[in-house]
Amino acid sequence: MAEELKEEELLEEDTQKGKYMTFQTGKECFGISISYVSEIIAMQPITPIPEAENYIKGLINLRGKIIPVIDVRTRFLMEPAEYTDRTCIIVIDVKSTVVGLIVEKLAEVDTIKDDDIIPPPTISGRENEHSKYVYGLARTESCVKLLLDPEKLIHQDDFKMFENVQEEEES
Amino acid sequence: MAEEFNTDSMLSVFLYESDQLLEKLEGIILEKQDADCFDDTDINEIFRIMHTIKGSSGVLMYENITKASHKLEDVFYYLRESHPEDVPHLELVDKVLAVSDFITGELDKIKNGEASDGDESELVEDLDEFLSSIKGEIKKQGIRLPQANKHEEPTQFYIAPVAEDDSHFYKIIIHYKNDTQMSNIRAYSATYALKGVAEDLLYTPEDILSNEASGDVILAEGFYMLLQTKSTKEDVINLVDNSEAEQIDIDEITAEEFGKRLAELGREDAQAVIDLGEKKAAEPEKKAAPAPGDYVVKAKEAGKGKTLAKNQPKQQTIISVNIEKMDALMDLIGELVIAEATVLQNPDLKVPGLDLTNFQKAAAQLAKNTTELQEVIMSMRMMPLTNTFQKMRRIVFDVSRKLGKDIELEVIGENTEVDKNIIEHISDPLMHLVRNSVDHGIEENPADRTKLGKSPKGKIILEAKNEGGKVYVSVKDDGKGLNKEKLFNKAYENGLVDGSKTINDFTEKEIFRFITLPGFSTKEQVTEYSGRGVGMDVVVKNIQEIGGRLDVDSVEGEGSEMTLIIPLTLAIINGIVVKVGNSSFVIETASIKEFVRVGEDALIQEPGGEEYLVLRGECYPFIRLNERYHLPDSRSKIDEGVVVVLEHEGEQICVLIDSLLQEQEIVVKPIPPYVKKVKGLSGCTQLGDGSIALILDIAGLMLDGERR
Repeated sequence: MAEELKEEELLEEDTQKGKYMTFQTGKECFGISISYVSEIIAMQPITPIPEAENYIKGLINLRGKIIPVIDVRTRFLMEPAEYTDRTCIIVIDVKSTVVGLIVEKLAEVDTIKDDDIIPPPTISGRENEHSKYVYGLARTESCVKLLLDPEKLIHQDDFKMFENVQEEEES
Repeated sequence: MAEEFNTDSMLSVFLYESDQLLEKLEGIILEKQDADCFDDTDINEIFRIMHTIKGSSGVLMYENITKASHKLEDVFYYLRESHPEDVPHLELVDKVLAVSDFITGELDKIKNGEASDGDESELVEDLDEFLSSIKGEIKKQGIRLPQANKHEEPTQFYIAPVAEDDSHFYKIIIHYKNDTQMSNIRAYSATYALKGVAEDLLYTPEDILSNEASGDVILAEGFYMLLQTKSTKEDVINLVDNSEAEQIDIDEITAEEFGKRLAELGREDAQAVIDLGEKKAAEPEKKAAPAPGDYVVKAKEAGKGKTLAKNQPKQQTIISVNIEKMDALMDLIGELVIAEATVLQNPDLKVPGLDLTNFQKAAAQLAKNTTELQEVIMSMRMMPLTNTFQKMRRIVFDVSRKLGKDIELEVIGENTEVDKNIIEHISDPLMHLVRNSVDHGIEENPADRTKLGKSPKGKIILEAKNEGGKVYVSVKDDGKGLNKEKLFNKAYENGLVDGSKTINDFTEKEIFRFITLPGFSTKEQVTEYSGRGVGMDVVVKNIQEIGGRLDVDSVEGEGSEMTLIIPLTLAIINGIVVKVGNSSFVIETASIKEFVRVGEDALIQEPGGEEYLVLRGECYPFIRLNERYHLPDSRSKIDEGVVVVLEHEGEQICVLIDSLLQEQEIVVKPIPPYVKKVKGLSGCTQLGDGSIALILDIAGLMLDGERR
């Protein structure tokens, strides 16, 4: 009995392994490991929270559960875009913190082999603003996908570092 | 593995059940603490409680608990059967409480995953002595097994007889092999097997379960049983487990001989049983007086426990439910309500010309049911304060006895219901307050009381009441009361007040509030119960955590009153939904003083930008919620919006909002911790249409307003 369960778990992990939910924001393609994704929902009315960070758009009601949503564009310091009917929310569960990611356009679920993933190149002295959250680049047929580390994406400490970087850039 | 699992679930049931039983036990004891003696119902109940604890702890091999409860059971068994006179009641109360404390302590250890290693021997000896003394024996007796037969009050396992004409009588002697392990357990299983068919069963040694030494006796002398049954000899042989038995002698004997042998073993009523057996059994044998220590299983009285329970109608039947399941149910019902709204207000229904008569009827029924469902689930979280108050009785009892004060505790409104979470939070603070009242409040010397025309017996009133969405729990004593000068001087000495101020700079209430400051204690001596000056500030902190406060009132010489004012529930509040721009906010109804519409002329602007509102000659701080939270599309002119006057702890603040939406009961949910805490917001909630509203935290809003 117990063994069967284990096998099942393994199998499930296997089916999720190497699969990435890819989406488009701006011109770039992003990928997020499917094991973090719990569901995808349509855009919903969002209740803004005063004084919260600007990329936290507010709260949504996910079947009785109240979860915060983040605008990925704003998070990457891109110009905010209008929400259209292609806009949707990817609900991710990172170590039991449930957060919704607002993305412009959902692409597909892609299988990316570990061999195809290369670490993001760093140029000393100049940090790409994505690099905090991007842990790898994956070359696929259509385009190069930036693989996101959701933990860093939603983590707040990182934001502060980010802010500093930005200030430096501004000055 | 399966076994492990079993023990685990058994353990949790055991812990839960024992807790309940001990609570009940304390309840009985404290209720009767001032009476002269326990009545029959109490004795039966205490006996039953100890019996249950003994049984279940025995199964789980907590021997110390088993032994302690067994001893107490013995005592109550004696009380029940022999009705002795002149039982020193207070001493008995002490003994029971000691056992109860011991078991509670052990249970706590088990709960914390520690080994239950408390030593019960002292307690058992103590109880033994007590038992002997009430039996009128001077001689002190050990609990050594071999004495049992010489003992004038023999102790045997005994199953009450229901003698009938066609019964057979057997004498059974089982000899086990010399190397048999745990022969006492085997002997027990034999008796257990026979119990099913036995009309009367008596065996020796008697202490086979709780005394391991009995195993040696059984090995040496054999296990001796007298059995009265309708079964044939063969059946009996089959029933007795003979795997390890070397020799089983079963002799059929006559009724007379059976009676004789019973008498030999010391059962005084044995002859009577036989007489009755011959004439047809009647009830007197129930009055048989087996000695204490007997393990009584009256086969025909299986329903006894239930009957006892029925004797006390106030005891409610309770099942315990995991709180997570409750929360899940609550969430589901919340969703149901929203789903209901979506169906009933569906735009598809707005088609002109639709005949909705039947639909409306059904909808009304649905709405009624969901509302009821909601009410029930809310009430499920509410619990009466009874148990908490029970603990306080115990504290008053303990502390007053130790301090040698004569104090009576009056409890009012213990059935007041409060949310479960809140009960957990007020238990400790209340304990501090009660201890303080007993220790500091009531005069040490009764003469001081009589001088003031008070009864020499101190009185503490513990009262709970439900008023305006708040629960008031007060501890009132008729003791010394607070001395303002003493309090002030003490605070002054401890550097708790500004050196330049004098006593006249403070109001009475402010001075009383000194006692809630950290490091304040007027008691010169630190006692076991209070005087360290850490009590009151902890009380205040704990109470504030759940959104309550402490009120201190006192008249010197007449007594003091400490009142905890706490919200009824943390989970559900009655709120008013307001709109600012596109956002909805909820304000707790209890903190709203009034809504007003005022014109520009009521507004005063400071050069610094701060604004004040003058209302009927009073000046209040003023906050524009839209500016405060940078909300777009809102009304900024004061005469277009509504001003809400909010009150918190005696301070007022005016807040400008756009409009009022509705009043409703709301389920408070925390703002997800991922979002950093916003000053002035205490949570969020889901409105009927599924949208989310933020709950305003008045205290936070004021604090923030002051800082700005």
